[in-house]
Order: sequence, then structure tokens, then C-alpha cells
Amino acid sequence: MLVHIDGPWSPLLGRLALTEIPYKNPILVGTFLFAVVLAVVLVGLTTYFGFWRTLWRDWLTSVDHKKIGIMYILIGLVMLFRGFIDAVMMRTQQAMAVGPHSAGYLDAVHGYLTPYHFDQIYTAHGTIMILFAATPLLVGIMNILVPLQIGARDMAYPYLNAVSLWLTAAGAALVMASLFIGDFAHAGWFGIVPVMELPYSPGVGVDYWMWAFQLSSIGTTLGGINLLATIVKMRAPGMTWGRLPIFTWASLSANLISLTTFPVVTVALALLALDRYLGTHFYTAGLGGNLMLYNDLFWIWGHPEVYFVILPAFGMISEIIPTFAEKPLFGYMGMVVASLGIAGVSWGVWLHHFFTMAAAPAVNAFFSITTMAVGIPTGVKVFNWAFTMFRGRLRFDLPMMWASAALFFLLVGGLTGMMNAFATNDYMVHNSVFVVAHFHMMLLLIVYAIFGGVNYWFPKVFGFRLEQRFGRMFFWLFTAGTAVVFVPMFTLGFMGMTRRLDYVAFPQWQPLLDIEVVGIVIYVLSAAFLVAQLYVSLRDRAQNRVGADAWGTSRSLEWITHSPVPFYNFAVTPEVHARDERSWRHERGLDDAAPVVYEDIHMPCKTAIPLGLGALGFGLAFALVWRIWWLALLCSGAIVALIVIRAFMTGTSYTIPARDVEKMEHDRKRGAAKPARAQVPGGSPAPVLGGGT
Amino acid sequence: MGIHVHLRVFAGRDYMTESNHSTFEHPEVQLAGTGYVAAYVAGIALMGLSLMLVKDHALDPTALGIAISGIAGLAALLQCVLLLHMTLSRTQIWQTVALVLFVPLFILTIGLTSWMFHGLYQRTMLRPIAASQAMAPAPLRAPR
Repeated sequence: MLVHIDGPWSPLLGRLALTEIPYKNPILVGTFLFAVVLAVVLVGLTTYFGFWRTLWRDWLTSVDHKKIGIMYILIGLVMLFRGFIDAVMMRTQQAMAVGPHSAGYLDAVHGYLTPYHFDQIYTAHGTIMILFAATPLLVGIMNILVPLQIGARDMAYPYLNAVSLWLTAAGAALVMASLFIGDFAHAGWFGIVPVMELPYSPGVGVDYWMWAFQLSSIGTTLGGINLLATIVKMRAPGMTWGRLPIFTWASLSANLISLTTFPVVTVALALLALDRYLGTHFYTAGLGGNLMLYNDLFWIWGHPEVYFVILPAFGMISEIIPTFAEKPLFGYMGMVVASLGIAGVSWGVWLHHFFTMAAAPAVNAFFSITTMAVGIPTGVKVFNWAFTMFRGRLRFDLPMMWASAALFFLLVGGLTGMMNAFATNDYMVHNSVFVVAHFHMMLLLIVYAIFGGVNYWFPKVFGFRLEQRFGRMFFWLFTAGTAVVFVPMFTLGFMGMTRRLDYVAFPQWQPLLDIEVVGIVIYVLSAAFLVAQLYVSLRDRAQNRVGADAWGTSRSLEWITHSPVPFYNFAVTPEVHARDERSWRHERGLDDAAPVVYEDIHMPCKTAIPLGLGALGFGLAFALVWRIWWLALLCSGAIVALIVIRAFMTGTSYTIPARDVEKMEHDRKRGAAKPARAQVPGGSPAPVLGGGT
Repeated sequence: MGIHVHLRVFAGRDYMTESNHSTFEHPEVQLAGTGYVAAYVAGIALMGLSLMLVKDHALDPTALGIAISGIAGLAALLQCVLLLHMTLSRTQIWQTVALVLFVPLFILTIGLTSWMFHGLYQRTMLRPIAASQAMAPAPLRAPR
């Protein structure tokens, strides 16, 4: 039944053997040494500061939405770093491997990366940046903010939330494991069929890609269900749909997309797995298979995924601009309809990713028109942001700088997107680096919104602002790097340069490729300023402490609770009176209003089971990659067992008596509860289930 | 921090998460009855039938496509009835509404996909011999 694969296989280790460790590749050996040194330093610091217990009790077993959000963001940042290194390698390889006389190093004929290695790098770069950087960063921010914006204590399903996190972490870990054990896929982040099929990719790279993708997509689907249920069912009294903060509306729209599309990619990948493991022919070129079906299924998920990541970014921009324009958001209802409109249209545009597949002209025309239609709700948003700023008292603090610059990238990315929406134009630039530059503009818009959002909400989560001077230098260098990399890339695209070239045959492209390298160096410099910003912020946190409203002109509900937010979010469930509740209270002098009566607060207990499920998910995926059947069966059985055990557990929640809530609130007011555990997000102790202490 | 948080297992009203003193008394489990098992068995049986049809090439490609689609539709219907308990009752109406809201997406994606492949098969793609004979316009058929 199982497909026979040539090469060694043993019952104990499957296809895994010492020869699969790439110890002869100096780049990977260097990366491994870097990882080992980093791990030793982190373990040493954790031990030195006695952080192990805190790490276990307050983070790894936490179901607190704020901590889960922070951990999502940390995963996103680590993977962003990895994806960035891949980008550096691609830029330098292409600049070095120009023309037949270019030198070759490290077994490469030209440049320093062999074609197979280069292919893995661009595949990893795309997969990581979309699935393991942008998605976790945005899901993390949604995790932190949505319950706070709607006045909830936590997500609707805190346990499920932790499961989603650890499945995503398992997927990211699998991608990282492929660096040092075996190799990664070499057929592009979206999988080029039939290259993904076993005869053309008999190694384990595609399997790594496939199972990492599966883990993360299951995690994101579960996260989407959770966020939707939270928004629909957990809103505070008075939080009507017409008063829902705009970021929460954006999250709702985004997660409608995630709920409806991620299952499609799950099925698409499952069919690929059947092809690779059981010898079916869903995507083969013959024997009844249909390789175009893979493109179709993948992009039915793939394009809505673009909007899944862009809508929360729009939501963040929509929150930041009114705060720093000191005006309510212009056209709130228009923004809501536009968000839902983008989510709706996202379902009818996917074929523009393969206009050149030779579909009938009427089909291409249909998808051209639907793609252009995306510009309508997006245009509504841009004008609304502009009108919000118009005649506002604009302050260009760091979040506003990032948000304003994001609008510029939306303009460039959007207009080039309109160009690509014409099937006729797409025939000219399809598969060129022009398209690559276009979608990087859109993704950079997301990155800018994320940096804006992180700067904006950081004080709410941690209680102190990020430092501004180094932050501004980071902003300007990052922006300069973006311009210097991507303007030449657009140009090269027009000149006919196709994407994914490990060797560039035309020496006349060399100057522009060299300029791109300069840009990437500027990016590296900017990263140094980001590190400096974080270091100085941490060092000077005492001077930069903020109150509930960190910016003085914030508008939505999350700004009425303490900074940092206590683990129970709100001392009493807030009564919502207006769309911009914080402004409404501020205008009526209710900033310091305290509850008259406190009530018991019901909270979920910590548990180690989600972490266990994530670890077993990793084990199962690793076993399937290497075809270690006993391990796969063991992990599958253990996953089922853990789920059943959890289903029969009692005491999964606890209450905090009202008098304790009152005392904690009074301590905060008096400043007695200095930045101790209670002021770290979710920092108060709670019982640990499933192996905790 | 100078404060001791008294922890006690929640034993009263639900504020946020579902209380679960007895898993078997959970509303979802109560609702399930034997429907879940029946849905699972029916699902396996119908998938097994599909597998047999495909594995043995029991029908020509066009008929096979129709048969598989019919079986999939039947499986979906059974799941809706037995697993999701889709009714208009107060407890279940949102599940029903949620699925109904998905229907336009199915029509959109499956319909557009069919439209796209219809053109593709005629223009560029090869099909299995039997199907291509069945679908090809008369002038393109090989002369006998």
C-alpha cells in the first residue's frame, strides 16, 4: 500500500541516517554552531536568573491570551529573523552569480550556493515569511487585543488557544529542524506541481514543507474559530456591533477568511500526502491525475490568505491614525463594510495567480474584474484614513510614522497589483521579479503596520513605552533599505528578469543587483537599531512607565484598564457606552472611576497539555517525514490519549474572590504593587493542570 | 506582591468556560447520542465505496466523477443530519445558519473551478482516453 522509495530504510529510524546530517556544508555547520551558541547562552541566562520555574508556570503552561499572544509574536520574530537571513543569501547569491565568468565558491559553479540549495532557500523564505512570521505576528496581536477591545476576560476557548499556539510552534520547529536534519523543499513556497510529487522530489524536503504547513494551518484554523467565537459571544454589556472597535471588526473579517479557507489548504496538502505516501494520483500529470487541480486548490486558500494577513494590518492602521490625529475614525461604517467586502471578494480572485495557465479568455476576464474590484473597498479605506487625518492634530510619534508609511506601500503595492490584475499585463510580467516586488510591497505594508502596532500597544502590554530615538533611526533605515532593494527589483522585472534565478545570465543586470545588495546591507544596519531600541527601552523602562492611556488620546476600550494589563484584564466587566469608549469616559471625567462593587472573577487554569500536544504534533510530523512508522503510531496514540484525558479533567477553572480583586486594584492605585508578578501580563499564580506544579 | 490569591475549583455558574464535572453530561455529548458513531460509520463506508470504485476503475471516468460526487453529497448530508444535528431548534439554529452561509462559497469555488477546467480541457489539457472521447467535440474525434 505504501509507496516504495529507493534508498535505505530501517524499522527503527526509517529513512533517517547519519548521512542526512549536512555536516559537510560549511554554511549549515556555521548556522548550527550559531544555534548551539545561542541555545547555550539562553539556557545559561535562564539558569543564572533562576527563570526556569517562571518559564514553566507563567509561560509554557499559560492559557492567558496576552501571554499566548506574546509567545506568538516571539515565534514570529524568530522566524522573521530566519526568513530575513534567507533573503540576505538570495540577494548576495544573485549579485555574485552574474555572467559566465563569475566565480564559484563552496561547490557552486557561480556564487556560493548550489542551485539545489538556492531553491531550498527561496522556498523556505516564502514559507517562513507568510506562514511562520506574518501569520503568527498578526495572530499574536489579535490574541492580545481582541479580548481587551471587547471587554472579555480571555478568549472563548483559552485551552484551545494554547493548542493553536503550540501547533504553530511545532510547525516552525519542523522548518528549523530541516536546516540540520535532511533538507527542505525546493519547489517554491506554494509548491510547484508536479515537482512536489515523489518522482521529482524523492527526498524529505517536500515532506518537511508539507507537514510543517499542515501543523500551522490546523493551528490557524483553530485560532480562527476561537477568535470568531470570542468576538461573537464574549462582548461586554453595551458592546454592540456598532460599537465594536475597528481592529476587532478587521479581526472578525480576517478570521472569517481563515475559518473558510484554511481547511481547503489542509485538504490540498492531504491529497498531496496521499500521492507521496500511498501512491494515489491526485496531482500527477497522467494516470487520471490533474496537476492543475493543485494550483486551483492551493490558491483558493492562497489568495484569501493574503487578505487574512492584510486585514488585521488595516485594522491596526485604523486604530493608530485616529489616536494620533486626535479625531474619531472617519467613516466607521464604511470601514466595516469595506473589511467584510474585502473578505468576501477574496473568494473570487484566486485564478489571477495563474492567468497564464491558458484558461479561456472569459475566465481570465472574470478574474481580472474581480481582482480589480478589490480596489474599491481598499480605496474606501485609504480615503477614510486620509479624511481622518485631514484637519486633525497630527502627531508623528513612532506608531504614526509606521502607519503613515504603510499607506505609501499600500499605494505602490495596490497600483502595481492593479497592473497585474489585467491578464494581458500579467502575461508580460508573470513569474518576473516585478511580481515579486509587487507582493513584497503588500507584505511590507503588513510589516509596517505590525511595527506600528507593536510600538502602539507595547505600553499597554508591558507598562512602558518603547524608546523613540533609536526607534526612529530603525524606521528610517528600514525604509531606506526597502527603497534601495525594491525599486531596482521593479526595474529588473520590467527588464525581463524572472524569479528564482540561482544564476543570472545577463551582465547588464549586475548594477541593479548590486544596488539591491546595498539595500539589504541597510536592512541589516536597521536591525541593529531595532536591537538598540529594545535594549534601551528595557534599560530605561522605569522612566518610560505609562498609565492606562499610554498616548493620552487613545480611543478604544483596551485603554481603560491598567498598563500592563492585569491577568484578569478588567477588575469588573466594563459597561460600554460608546464606540470610542475610552474617549467617551475621558470627556466625562471618568478616567479614574473605580468600581463600586467587585465581583468574583472566573478564570481558566494553566495546563501543560497544549504544550504536550504541540510536542507530539512535532513528533508525529517528524516521524512522517522520515517514515518512522512506530513513532508516528506512538505519537498519534498519545495525542488521542491526551485529548481524552483533558476531556475528563475536572477543575479546569478557578475563581478569584472579589476581596482579592479589590485589594489588587487598590494596590495598583497606590503604586504598592510595583512591577512584580501581578504587573507582568498574566503574572499572578494560578493552578497548573496536567503536569504543572 | 503582598497578596495571596485564593484559588478554588469553580463549582457554580459558568462565567467563561464550560464546567465539566462529568464529561458524559456535557451538552455536546448529550446531544451526540449514537449519531456521532453512525455518522462515523456511514462516512467510512461511503469513503470505502468510493475507494473501491476508483481502485477497480469500475466506471468510465465521467460516470466515476458523477458517482463520486453523488457519494460525497450523500456523505455530507449524513454528516449534517447525524453529526451537526442541523435543525431550526433554538440550540442548533446557528449551526444551520453557519452551514447555509457556506453554500455560496461552495457554489462560487466549485462553479468557477468547473468553468475554468472546462475551458482548459478543451484548450490545453489531456484527459484520460475514455473521458476525452466522451467530451471532445465531434470534429476533434479521431477518424475511425
